Amino acid sequence: MTMTATQCLLQMYDEHYDLEDYQSGVPRWCTGCGDNAILAAVQRLCRDENLRPEKTAFISGIGCSSRFPHYMKTYGFHGIHGRALPIAEGVKMARPDLHVFVNTGDGDCCSIGAAHWIHAIRYNMNLTLMLHDNQIYGLTKMQASPTSPLGTKSNTTPRGSYLEALNPLSVTLGVQNVSFVAQAVDWIPEMLYDIIKAAYHHKGFSFIRIVQRCPEWLPEMFEPWMHDPNRILVLNHENGLQVSASLAKVYKNQQAHDPSDLNRAREIASNLDPIPVGILYRNPDVPRYEEVRHAGQMRSTDLIEKGLNAEFDKFTVWPQETEAQTQPVM
Amino acid sequence: MHSELQAQLAFHLTGNRPGAGLEVVAGLGLHPALFAGYRDLTKLRYDFPLVLVQNATDRGFVQCLSAIVDGVVHEIAQGDDGERLTRHLLRLEQEIRVLMAEGASGALSALWEKAAGRLAARGDDLLKDSLNRASTALKIDGKVVDCSSSMPADLINHAWASVQEKKASKFREDLARLTQKLSDILQVDRVRSKAGQSAESLKASVGASHGEDFDFQTMSRLLTKSSPKATLPESRRRRIESLLSVLKSQRFFAVQGSVDKRGAGEKTHSFVFEQCTAALAAYRERMPEAIELAKAVAIAGLEIEGEYNEAKHDAFFKEFDAAGLDERDLAMFPDYLVLISAEKLQGVENDKLMEVFSAGLPVKILVQTDDLLEALPAGDAHLAIGVRSKQLASMALGLNEVYVLQSSGSNLFQFRDRILKGIAYAGPALFSVFSGSTGKAADLPPYLTAAAAMESRVFPAFTYDPSAGADWASRFYLEGNPQVDRDWPVQSFAYEDAELQKIPQDLVFTLVDFVACDQRYARHFARVPQAKWNASMVPVGECLAGDTQSLSEKIPCLLMVDRDDVLHKVIVDDKLIQEARRCREMWHSLQELGGIHNSHAERLLARERKVWEERQQHEVAVAPKPAAAAPAATPAAPVATADAAAMPAPAEPEQEKSSDEPYIETPRCTSCDECTQINNVMFGYDANKQASVVNPDAGTYRQLVEAAESCQVSIIHPGKPRNPNEAGLEELIKRAEPFL
Repeated sequence: MTMTATQCLLQMYDEHYDLEDYQSGVPRWCTGCGDNAILAAVQRLCRDENLRPEKTAFISGIGCSSRFPHYMKTYGFHGIHGRALPIAEGVKMARPDLHVFVNTGDGDCCSIGAAHWIHAIRYNMNLTLMLHDNQIYGLTKMQASPTSPLGTKSNTTPRGSYLEALNPLSVTLGVQNVSFVAQAVDWIPEMLYDIIKAAYHHKGFSFIRIVQRCPEWLPEMFEPWMHDPNRILVLNHENGLQVSASLAKVYKNQQAHDPSDLNRAREIASNLDPIPVGILYRNPDVPRYEEVRHAGQMRSTDLIEKGLNAEFDKFTVWPQETEAQTQPVM
Repeated sequence: MHSELQAQLAFHLTGNRPGAGLEVVAGLGLHPALFAGYRDLTKLRYDFPLVLVQNATDRGFVQCLSAIVDGVVHEIAQGDDGERLTRHLLRLEQEIRVLMAEGASGALSALWEKAAGRLAARGDDLLKDSLNRASTALKIDGKVVDCSSSMPADLINHAWASVQEKKASKFREDLARLTQKLSDILQVDRVRSKAGQSAESLKASVGASHGEDFDFQTMSRLLTKSSPKATLPESRRRRIESLLSVLKSQRFFAVQGSVDKRGAGEKTHSFVFEQCTAALAAYRERMPEAIELAKAVAIAGLEIEGEYNEAKHDAFFKEFDAAGLDERDLAMFPDYLVLISAEKLQGVENDKLMEVFSAGLPVKILVQTDDLLEALPAGDAHLAIGVRSKQLASMALGLNEVYVLQSSGSNLFQFRDRILKGIAYAGPALFSVFSGSTGKAADLPPYLTAAAAMESRVFPAFTYDPSAGADWASRFYLEGNPQVDRDWPVQSFAYEDAELQKIPQDLVFTLVDFVACDQRYARHFARVPQAKWNASMVPVGECLAGDTQSLSEKIPCLLMVDRDDVLHKVIVDDKLIQEARRCREMWHSLQELGGIHNSHAERLLARERKVWEERQQHEVAVAPKPAAAAPAATPAAPVATADAAAMPAPAEPEQEKSSDEPYIETPRCTSCDECTQINNVMFGYDANKQASVVNPDAGTYRQLVEAAESCQVSIIHPGKPRNPNEAGLEELIKRAEPFL
């Protein structure tokens, strides 16, 4: 039964939030940092979707990007390195009614947290993940990350990095149960907002890789792309991103791409230049783990006691059995 | 010969048998010829008996025995012995039918065992093997019902119960959630209270075995010092406690374990009634309780979300009464079910039924008619066949908001989805069913009588579903009837004549055939011995098809068979023919409602066709000039192309900024704080946290130029210096050039 009277009343007295209602503290990111753009876009989303702050949770790991929950006046969990996803999955399991967002970086997600990332894709829980990918470890002052392009000079790779960069898009698109993959760049705020919004509305695990500038440690990295709009490939489609007329005037390099086409998505994902921006893949029919496992079961006192006892029983030493085992052989 | 014809005609017109040659049909055991193939129903595979499946949801709540047997056959009869198994299982099915015909009843598993036992007693080992394997494969169980007088009530009741069970489990789930969450609120408050944090209660919560391991005094002191002081306001606590008591004491749904805790007097309400009066009284009496519960559910929802605001909600819920309960609120409660026979639906009962329907109450009513041909108190002036059910159905249809399903018992299985829909419908529903159990009057089994009533249009089947759409086309459904486009269904029939030759013939099945099955109407029929058959005797169908005037020389006759399958011709009196015509008119109006031969549509069609033909003629007349036909399709106005988004949009009002004024391309701002760090009075954020030049005079030109240089996305345009006296302008203007 839907509680119609309740819903009606809730609507009657609906709260409307402003951007300030989601802002908390002054970000300690460097000025010019792309994280600010993501933060502003997310706050806009919360306001426009009228998300109740107490029903929203931001979960992160460790890194510059992972300071994100501090700046949102919602629930948040600044987790441990690489473990943003398991925490977020736990939150979603226990409280399927919450809107759960995950903010993670290229180190947090693609290096120490890579295993969790792969399995989060398989679980396909209804989470929105933003991968702040600036291709460098910023918080620890410039070390190469898994997504640093070959030859990146850093404190750990003074002669330039030795390995090809990992491509988060093609990795994600290669895992079973993938259901939403998109790419944005922090310097086109309008598209960034539209993509985060589409990801939020997707029912399932939505993965957005946000190509992000680090003005402090890799200030030149994206200069060529920023100053040549033709090096951005905008993916538009009636079921995907739709670009406004004013933006289309600047970003003329556009291509129609149907987000239901997985093979084409994989092809696009492997192109590094121009940078594809838009929704690469979306499949709303992939089953969600929290639904498969019927999360949100009522935690009655009995249930908790039963669960605890079951756990304790695993470690219980039964006196009779111990005695029997230690009986001397006659 | 002439006198014989006169005698026949006289009988036809008056119903009297003046002379010899016309025999009385009573006692001859005649049936309409089409029944010749249905002597022994136990030998046939058809919808009945039905199994009212236990614990089934949706349309699987009832299944026919044949389908269940087919399912078992499909599962086990795969290998080399498949054919043997199939044969044996079909014998088992027939044995169950025989058992049912002998009056057995009970669960499928029991009947299955009994029938298997009887077969096994006279069979070999192979048969026993088949039966054993079949028994293990049988996964479905439930009460078996044959087409009888009790079947409609059993079936509707079962459907009702399965829909209510679904509702109940949803409600129990909600109830458990609400009570748990409300209790949690109280629990948290208790834990945080002084009493909750006292050394005694802390000790009690740890358990006996570790009671001595802690210093509870210290623990209590630490906890009371550090935990928040705010406790539940008294009004909220009282509200939650009263909500819990309302939720726990509700009597609309049985909750597990609740029966033990309560006294016998406080049992769950019953919702099945045998009278509309009682159902209506119960509904009214329980209304305050229902309002209380609906209110509690709504408030509990708000409390759990922490949204209950006394200033806003108190007044609202104070006024919350029956008027505040809408259909969807009521939908959470069980529906009422009334099982009543048509004979009892008189006087007060009829008024109450009307009241239920017109008030749109969630009451589902099964009105069962056992006898369509009963004599009416008004006498014999009219035959008035099935008049009660006609009144009932048309009254319910007239009310527009009642779900109506009319069907013979024989076809209820076919309408199982519609039965479920009717029960799930939010308002009242009427199930008008003819059971076919007329009693002694007919020697046919109820199944055949019921099927005949539908076949003959005496009791046509239809549904009216107000929730299916806004118009009659989507609401009214007539297709369940046989050969719905025709006046009467036509069946092919063949018999063997004296020379042993096959004579095929199409027979229509009409009201006359239906009435001919009933002993009480024998006086309307007269058998004509074969020697006296003549050309004036025409089949009833032909007679009904022609108009009344030209038939004076024709006498309608019916082909009937006796117990030995010998064909007889029976002539029919005019009263019955009149009645058949009335029945056909009634059927016509139903057809119109169902969109078949709809007079409005046909008139419109005729008019449009006429217009079309005229136009065609006109065009033919005008046609000779070939030029006129050419440019029918003018090139359309410039069509918006698919990539319109990619095209520059000239309509967009682009503000042309003069390069003298400083400005920021705000929509492209990435909120990176570069400019606001330089001067947060000159630069400011808008509601989307994107920057613009708020006050160009609040800073220096140097700051504008530096901001433009440091802007990550190069969207700051410093314009021309506003203060000509600013130091170092020359250099600054040069630096500003790339950003103008």
